[in-house]
Amino acid sequence: MQVPEAVPQNGGYMVAAYIVVAVVILGYALSLYLRTRRSLRP
Amino acid sequence: MRLLRAGRWITGIALVLLAGVYVRALAYTPVERAQGLAQKIFYLHVPAAIWAEGAMILVGVASIVYLFLKDPRLDRFAHASAEVGTVFAVLMLTTGPIWGKPIWGTWWTWDARLTLALFLFLLYVGYLLLRGAVADPASRARFAAVLGICGMILVPFVHLSVYMFRTLHPMPIVLKPSEPSLPGSMLTTWLMSVGVFTLLYVGFVIQRYALSYLNEQLEAAGGIP
Repeated sequence: MQVPEAVPQNGGYMVAAYIVVAVVILGYALSLYLRTRRSLRP
Repeated sequence: MRLLRAGRWITGIALVLLAGVYVRALAYTPVERAQGLAQKIFYLHVPAAIWAEGAMILVGVASIVYLFLKDPRLDRFAHASAEVGTVFAVLMLTTGPIWGKPIWGTWWTWDARLTLALFLFLLYVGYLLLRGAVADPASRARFAAVLGICGMILVPFVHLSVYMFRTLHPMPIVLKPSEPSLPGSMLTTWLMSVGVFTLLYVGFVIQRYALSYLNEQLEAAGGIP
């Protein structure tokens, strides 16, 4: 990715935010899946 | 269970599309000159905030109707929406400070918008704790409905706080009466992200609703949910 020199170098914060969002969303999706599977168990 | 399958499909599609939003936002959307790459947090932070607020409005609407009709489906929906809203509120409250640190120079400040957003999150937590604390289903639904309505009343104050108080938080650049002040490619990415977060909300709520239904069936049959 080409970033002009004058632009603030703060890509680490962006990466952190994108990772946090992915982890929280995938974690919640997994939690729903596991809780439902437990409820469906005979 | 058809509802559960539908929820899983919608969530699965939304997760794939979310990956597409990541690729578009990170590789194909221009870098904002003043804020740098940190500005791209906006494509996740704002849709999460929209659904943190939107979910609470839907909790409130379902709660009002529940108090009149006493239909358990409305209570089940309110519960599902509150849990999913809590997840989006967590995203809002984590991505916000991660953006704030490089742009404002601080993770957090007790200004009106941030404090009210935190209050919204605490209301969500209180709502879920209340539901866990009351054993009788009818009382639980009634108490939760009252808290849900309080949460809904809070939402306009969260959204309009940037107009009502002097705050560090940026003014809306898309959700405002005049035209959005974003260039076309950034606006497209943002709209795609809002669409995907909407799909995520729908998929999660359907699954959570189905889970509540399953737990109620288990409880009625004498099992432990």
